[in-house]
Amino acid sequence: MVKISVLQHAPSVHLPARPGDPTPTTRNLDPLMHPFARARERNRALNAAKMDRLFAKPFVGALEGHIDAVEVLCKKPGSLSAVASGSWDGGVILHNVSERKHIRRIQGAHEGKVSGLCFAQDDRLLSCGVDSKIKLWDASPQDDITDQRPLNEYPGKSPFNSIDHHRSDPLFATASNLVQIWDETKSAAVSNLTFPTSTETITSVRFNLSETSVLGSIGSDRTFTLYDIRTGKAERRVVMQMGSNALAWSPTFPTNVLLASEDHNLYTFDVRQLKTPTHIYKGHVAAVMSCDWSPTGLEFVSGGWDRTVRIWKEGQGTGPEVYHTKRMQRVSSSIFTADARFVLTGSDDGNVRIWKAKASEKLGIITARERAAIEYRDTLKDRWKHDNEVGRIQRNRHLPKPVYQAAKLKRTMLDSRAVKEERRRKHTRVGESKPNAERKKVVIAEQT
Amino acid sequence: MVSPVDSLFVKAQNTTLPKSLRPISPPPDNVPKHKHVKDLKLRTKLNRQAAHAARSKALVEDAELLLMSEAGKMQVETELERTWRIGQDDIVQGAGQEAAKGRRELKLDGGPYRSRYSRNGRHLAIVGSMGHVATFDWQTGTMHAELQLQETCRDITFLQDQSFFAVAQKKYVFIYDRDGVELHRLKAHIEPTRLEFLPYHWLLASVGNNGFLKYQDTSTGHIVAEHRTKLGACHTLAQNKHNAVLHLGHSNGVVTLWTPNIPHPVVQILAHLGPVVGLSVDPSSGGRYMATSGQDGIIKVWDCRNWKGTVREWTTRGGSAELEWSARGALGVAVGGSVNVYTKPSIQTPHVAKAPPPLYLTHPIPHRPLTSVRFCPFQDILTIGHNAGLSSILVPGAGEPNFDSTEADPFENKKARREREVKGLLDKIQPDMITLDPDFIGALAPPTKLTTAVNDTHDVPFARLPRLERLRVQGKADETELVDDDDEDAAEGDGDKNDKPQSRMEKEKRKMRGKGKSVKRYLRKQRKNVIDPTAVAIRAKLEKQREEKRVAKAIENGQVEARKPSALDRFRRP
Repeated sequence: MVKISVLQHAPSVHLPARPGDPTPTTRNLDPLMHPFARARERNRALNAAKMDRLFAKPFVGALEGHIDAVEVLCKKPGSLSAVASGSWDGGVILHNVSERKHIRRIQGAHEGKVSGLCFAQDDRLLSCGVDSKIKLWDASPQDDITDQRPLNEYPGKSPFNSIDHHRSDPLFATASNLVQIWDETKSAAVSNLTFPTSTETITSVRFNLSETSVLGSIGSDRTFTLYDIRTGKAERRVVMQMGSNALAWSPTFPTNVLLASEDHNLYTFDVRQLKTPTHIYKGHVAAVMSCDWSPTGLEFVSGGWDRTVRIWKEGQGTGPEVYHTKRMQRVSSSIFTADARFVLTGSDDGNVRIWKAKASEKLGIITARERAAIEYRDTLKDRWKHDNEVGRIQRNRHLPKPVYQAAKLKRTMLDSRAVKEERRRKHTRVGESKPNAERKKVVIAEQT
Repeated sequence: MVSPVDSLFVKAQNTTLPKSLRPISPPPDNVPKHKHVKDLKLRTKLNRQAAHAARSKALVEDAELLLMSEAGKMQVETELERTWRIGQDDIVQGAGQEAAKGRRELKLDGGPYRSRYSRNGRHLAIVGSMGHVATFDWQTGTMHAELQLQETCRDITFLQDQSFFAVAQKKYVFIYDRDGVELHRLKAHIEPTRLEFLPYHWLLASVGNNGFLKYQDTSTGHIVAEHRTKLGACHTLAQNKHNAVLHLGHSNGVVTLWTPNIPHPVVQILAHLGPVVGLSVDPSSGGRYMATSGQDGIIKVWDCRNWKGTVREWTTRGGSAELEWSARGALGVAVGGSVNVYTKPSIQTPHVAKAPPPLYLTHPIPHRPLTSVRFCPFQDILTIGHNAGLSSILVPGAGEPNFDSTEADPFENKKARREREVKGLLDKIQPDMITLDPDFIGALAPPTKLTTAVNDTHDVPFARLPRLERLRVQGKADETELVDDDDEDAAEGDGDKNDKPQSRMEKEKRKMRGKGKSVKRYLRKQRKNVIDPTAVAIRAKLEKQREEKRVAKAIENGQVEARKPSALDRFRRP
């Protein structure tokens, strides 16, 4: 006898048991069942990359209120929405970012520009200005705005450039022609910190977030200096080729510090090894004016003199995300919000702008299916990023014409400089001049 | 003393992934460790990727256990029994109630008929040569459309699903919707004989009596390509489902393979000594085998990887044969008054003798001519179109038992159909990506020949090299003459022994004047990067003269013996 069996599909298995039930699905992963799987996946990756650019609308909104350029921004530790901004007109505004309202508005907090802002404990705000004064303000929401007096005032001897509060203790540091440590309860500086031979102006000072007694400063002598308030002196200092405009300590990797340099680049340094930067971030076409780490420590934002905001990935020195608008002027301050989803920038046009940290991210509630689709698209984009077309779409950013031209000019100049250097080397005796690594050109001297 | 700043040197001790993010299955064995890679970061990344790949491979193997249905089969118990002795009545008796529905006889006027199943095997479209067209869900017996077109119809095909179908009519191709409403008259397709739809590219291809192969994008309506085959009227067309290459069989016995982006056949073989009448590509082996049949009554199985002769060939009685491979590799052959089915290992193993492979199943149909054979996807059903309608027979083991709902689902509902249509449109592959090897997408590009090295030195940046140098680096420079010149100069320079390297100017100056000067100058002027037939001819001539000179010199020096003239020399070509 011949055994016979004929294929048949039982409809009961493949049809919903009751009306309204989902139709059962079956999978067969045999590659022969899925012709052109790769080509279709590439197509999907291409669509994902296109959609990513299509939905890249990073600008969320602007916080108005200042009548002059915004010089400084700071976020309140432990709060998602409270952000303070200080302006050249001497005003300080406390914003609620999520509601886009003013919590508090202090007009004429300082004479001249407000050069530094930071939050102290218990809902208080410290500000310093070029009028050589430090003021402590109550930052709790208040109904009557008539009370414009500070809680406390600390007189200084010279104009202040920056202020930063200790992580836990009631101490804060200011930068003028020297770094001073102040106690909130005392009206005079507790100690003065300065590098022995230095006569420079300190432009910015920041406490380390994890090793809280260590602080770093940058100065007009193109220096980056490390201090310790326990020993009360400057520990180390490096002199660089070009000066820096801002510094920020990494929130997750305590030895890393980020410097926004005048030479259009950003540098991360490991303070254990100050001879060379660990990474160079190239992209701006003018001086970088401000920088701030994302709370995750994986990204950071920088704002530049070239009127663009750039968001960088840690360890990836090129190809940052670029934000710009027609009306935004030179970006003098930029911070990440505490949830790492938004970026705030203050610029010369007097506005504080809110941007998404990921340009094409959808705001609002995302369903589980949507989330799965987004994650699938992200994976596809990552997998196919080496494909010519997909990669090109992913990398391409529209730039304002002046920025584009400046970048082009800069590239030409750097190229020709490199060629000239190469030629010079070619015509000198062999071994006389070796090519110098880009990272080794940054630091001129390290002093202890 | 340790400086306070040095207290930052604390390293994180534990940087592992949280438990919720770790993979559930144990790490796979035999994952390459990439020990030869120096870069620690890269090595870690490669290791992680390799582990992920190995893990997903293991998971796919696991998933095969979950396949529910089993393929049908006919198995003999003793050696004397033969499966082909089993008739349809016995098979129907042995089949289940649901499967037995597949055995049908449709008695229709206006034949001979051709048929086509939709991709999920649920719907059937039939067309009679006298203009009777019908589409229906054959399982439930629901008729979608029935048309009497009153003119010659030659072929029919569903488009992306059962909601549209195209009919090759007397003059043009027409597209109808599910209800049989005429939507489009494709005037570009003149006198079409055969139609094919490429579902992943959304291309409707037709070939006609004028020998043109035309591709029309059904999502945009554009004609993507029109290829003139120059081989006359064509009556045989088949697609390779795995690379979307179209196979055409012509009346002079030639089989040609076409893609939309190349205006000539990518492969051309002389398959038969008469017209090619049947053509099919095996979907069960990824399009590796092709079967052809000619009017000479010969059936040939070809290996599409190398085209070196046939894998197997045999002669049938009864003239031209219609062919079709099933999803699991059963070859249905309708020839004369019967349908024969051959199964997989034997028809694909090389066999020298021209004997037919062992028969799996046979079924007589007394309605000649048999004009089409179609296997139903995901069913053990073979539908034969003939003069008196259509007959469906059961072929156990022909159909793929496990379907994938994302590709084609026989049980899909309206919503799923719509969803799949949209997804299909989003995933539409561009027509110019059709190639013989579909895996070239995402594969590593061949290493480029670009190098910035000049004489093996990497001094000058490529962009700063002069044009000729750049071309040379790229391997595009035409250097034939330059080399020849140098050779000759070297030969001339043999006389004076001081072999100083001469500058180009000097060479030019010292050159003997008068010998073939004009030709040389001409060739020098022709030193460009275009291959010119005249220049090539002159070069060949010069080469020949040089060779003659060399031989004459060798004879003179006594290195070679002169060839003695022979009586046969008069027959040599000059």
